[in-house]
Amino acid sequence: MSGSEKIAAGKGRMASAPKMRAALPFAVRFRIRLFRTLSFLPNLLLLLVLVLLWQFASKFWLPRIDPQMAILMPAPTTIAASAAGMIASGELFYHLAASLKREAFAFLYATSAIPLGMAMGWWRVVYNQVNPIMEILRPIPPLAWIPLSILWFGLGDAQNEFIIFLGIFFPILVNTIVGVKNIDPNLIRAARSLGATERKMLERIVFKGALPQIITGIRIGLGVGWMALVAAELVGANSGLGFLINDARSMLRTDTIIVGMLAIGVIGLLIDTFIRLLGRRLLPWSLALSK
Amino acid sequence: MGQITVKGVSKLFGDRDAPDHVLALADVSFDIANNQFCSILGHSGCGKTTLLNIAAGFEKPTSGSILVDGDPIRAPGWQNTMIFQDYALFPWMSVYQNVVFGLEMKGLASHKRAGATQHYIELVGLGGFENKYPHQLSGGMRQRVAIARALAVQPQLLLMDEPFAALDAQNRDFMQDELVRIWQREPKTVMLVTHSIDEAIKLSDCIAVMTRRPGRVKEFINVDLPRPRDEDDRSYLSLKRKLRNLIHDEIEDK
Repeated sequence: MSGSEKIAAGKGRMASAPKMRAALPFAVRFRIRLFRTLSFLPNLLLLLVLVLLWQFASKFWLPRIDPQMAILMPAPTTIAASAAGMIASGELFYHLAASLKREAFAFLYATSAIPLGMAMGWWRVVYNQVNPIMEILRPIPPLAWIPLSILWFGLGDAQNEFIIFLGIFFPILVNTIVGVKNIDPNLIRAARSLGATERKMLERIVFKGALPQIITGIRIGLGVGWMALVAAELVGANSGLGFLINDARSMLRTDTIIVGMLAIGVIGLLIDTFIRLLGRRLLPWSLALSK
Repeated sequence: MGQITVKGVSKLFGDRDAPDHVLALADVSFDIANNQFCSILGHSGCGKTTLLNIAAGFEKPTSGSILVDGDPIRAPGWQNTMIFQDYALFPWMSVYQNVVFGLEMKGLASHKRAGATQHYIELVGLGGFENKYPHQLSGGMRQRVAIARALAVQPQLLLMDEPFAALDAQNRDFMQDELVRIWQREPKTVMLVTHSIDEAIKLSDCIAVMTRRPGRVKEFINVDLPRPRDEDDRSYLSLKRKLRNLIHDEIEDK
């Protein structure tokens, strides 16, 4: 993991020399990329060994000691077979789609943190009034809202989305405030000096200046939201990946549970990577600044 | 027009009764004629940047005022725009977008913007770089963008806060010449803050030499050397000596 992070960081540095990069012919760029990918493979050695040990333990070792325990720890091959089956039947995608839909709606509601955070970062009065409320609410884990939210919204999408919303909202809010407060004061002065009104200032300078930090907030928020999602679905849903793994527990389908867990992990990683790449693509200047 | 009158400007930071109050400026007065280039020369901490900030409308004077054509400066705006030492370019905007920004704020009709923007980009010698972003430019080029951006709004008063301090010596010399060239093509009333004697002589029609804190005008010198200014010329050197002595006294006093 840390290896891939380092490589990603290295790529970021490379982006500062776009001219050089574009000048390279495609074949060369392809070979560089291929080499990078291949040179990463040795880092997976330990993982491979562990999976092989797991396979051995599940297939040969545990059954000899206690066949019951073998059920609790299905072999990687068994898990792979279940995964293939669940993908083919569409079961996995059905639950995945349900979860993603909730995350997406919750994110949509949580974007309200951006204007609120901008107002808090920009106007001292707003900050002074709203911050005490936020500081009380923020440390309450989204999961602690589950009982109350079930009473409020009943079981179902609305309740789930509310829990996820709480997970996403606060990271975006906090990062937006920090982003606004950290804008170079000379940029604000320059804009004023060029005749920007308060409204233009917020649209063209404050929002844009805070955007890199807002995107960081979105990344963190979607991550926290994704964790909250699974917890919310464990108790209050009849679809979704969280429901899938909890439902499989009652039927002792450990292979299904692990497939669900892996799906949760992989999708979480994909969301995070997607937002990171999106940020890098949309805000090339921000990387150059942070250098 | 841009006839500047600095009239009895004082600036006090903190409460007058508090022990840690600082009198940054004390009764500063001088005039700058229209389209004159005037430098404020002094050591750091002499209040020269404070004076500039008051002229930009970022700060209010404790007493006195700075007048442009008889009207006191009250707020920041395109009429009295500022060029910063660290350029303060908007990093998310291209060169073109940075320069056109002030024109959009000013509400210039959209069909007139492109022509005006292009004119000032060409004037500072950045034709062909319209679509580059600030992080892709060198320090000197960034300052050119800042100059184009400030000139594009056609201010009555152009303020500069040590604009070349962040550049290396060769670039600084070059940019000083460039600034004179641009200013001669596009005359403006300029108030420039600097601690460099050479920069002040090379650029200015008049130099206000400041005392150390609290800042007062120690001497107001009109420079009528022909342009371009020859650094080896005798009158250049004698003026330089005079300014050095004036400035030097201020250190001795400490």
